[in-house]
Amino acid sequence: MVDTLLNIAMMHSDTLVTRAKEGDQNAQGKLIQLWYKRIYNFGYKFFLDHDLAMEVSQKTFISMCKNLAGLQDNARFKSWLYKIAVNYCREEVRKKKGDRSLSFDVVWNRDAEESPKWESTGQRYDNPESQLHRRELADILQQALGELNVEQREVVIMKEYEGLKFREIAEVLNISENTVKSRMYYGLDGLRKILDRKNINKDTIGYEL
Amino acid sequence: MSYKPNENDLMAYLYGELESPEREAFENYLFEHPEVRLELERLQKMRTMLSEVKDKEVIAPPIFVDEGKARVMWDAPYLKTIVSIAASLLLVILMGRLAGMKIQYEASALKISFGETQTEANGGVQAQVAGASLSAEEVQSMINASLLENNVAMQSSWKETQEKLDASINKSLAQNSSKIDKLVRDASIASQDQIREFVAGIQTENLQLVKSYFKMSSDEQKQYIESLLVDFSKYLQQQRNDDLQLVQTRLNSLEKNTDVFKQETEQILSSIITTVGNKNSIGMTN
Repeated sequence: MVDTLLNIAMMHSDTLVTRAKEGDQNAQGKLIQLWYKRIYNFGYKFFLDHDLAMEVSQKTFISMCKNLAGLQDNARFKSWLYKIAVNYCREEVRKKKGDRSLSFDVVWNRDAEESPKWESTGQRYDNPESQLHRRELADILQQALGELNVEQREVVIMKEYEGLKFREIAEVLNISENTVKSRMYYGLDGLRKILDRKNINKDTIGYEL
Repeated sequence: MSYKPNENDLMAYLYGELESPEREAFENYLFEHPEVRLELERLQKMRTMLSEVKDKEVIAPPIFVDEGKARVMWDAPYLKTIVSIAASLLLVILMGRLAGMKIQYEASALKISFGETQTEANGGVQAQVAGASLSAEEVQSMINASLLENNVAMQSSWKETQEKLDASINKSLAQNSSKIDKLVRDASIASQDQIREFVAGIQTENLQLVKSYFKMSSDEQKQYIESLLVDFSKYLQQQRNDDLQLVQTRLNSLEKNTDVFKQETEQILSSIITTVGNKNSIGMTN
């Protein structure tokens, strides 16, 4: 994880957590502001769907506000929060299995109607071609992530994008650290296989590693 | 070497979470086993690729957490639907009551009515219908007879009205045509005189108009030219004065200049004379 001001603030949110636990709504609001992006992005990478990610993050933070008083160790706030998010994500997955309706975004591709995707990326200093390549690579990777099974996907996202330690992930998922590591290994391996099957390597993507 | 790392150690090393003694052992092992090194490199590449997926920016929507106590009753699964059905039933009953609706079931007939029921009248009609029992032929003949009667009556009335209409149209035509003829004749006689008068009137009017216009415009032109002339003469006067002043000043300055020049030449001359005199006197002494 990159050390941005936001991340530093997140790492030192202990006092905020204690205040929020006492029922300070302002502190709760600040906690939400700090962590919303992380939980949203976790949800987004998990589902590759904005609406589901928004739903999961909102549920997570509502639950956080309600149950914060029950959190015993402030240092475990992060893994506690991710635990809630993971549970809601799994719940959505279960719901989706029984749901035969199509998401509206699948029928009507909103992104394709608006503007080229690479327009929204932050790296404007790159040349457009490599930007497009990067964007494509990112999309392909996201899809590959979606093809992993839920257990591996959770671990890969939490480790690679959310920067949790193996110990923390083990806490979140209530499993042993070794299981986490092995899921991570098979997750990465699975990703590589998926990409190989899609014939994606550094030559085809035109991206210099 | 007895140390053989498993995939978990590989993961821990990859993410820099392997602690110091194991870490060294692992690095040694890597040094000796290039295939593991290759595997690590591949995983590392995978990680670099994964890091291409960037976070999406998102703005946290306001999240309101209510106390969750007031709504417990409403959250009961069937209560809402039951209450809403009851409410709609009540509404229907109320509407029926207000509209005076009556629903009766008697003698195997369901009657829904609004307002007062008219059972007696219906009974009378029914009795009449029951009493008059007619055969189909009789009915047919009756219908035919009435139709014939109707036709005859209508034809006669049509004829009558037709005749009346014709008569009135002829009459009014005759009247109107004579009236129109008279009117046209009057108008044609009257119009010749009137036109003459009208044209004469217009002619005199026009004459007067043109006369007055010419007079007015000539007056205006006169005034304009007079003012123009006056202005021009004034302007000329002014110009002459200015020119005179200018010439005056020029002359003055010239005069001054010549005076100064004169003085200067005098001075120079006198200085030359004096220096020559001095030289002569010095030369004399030498």
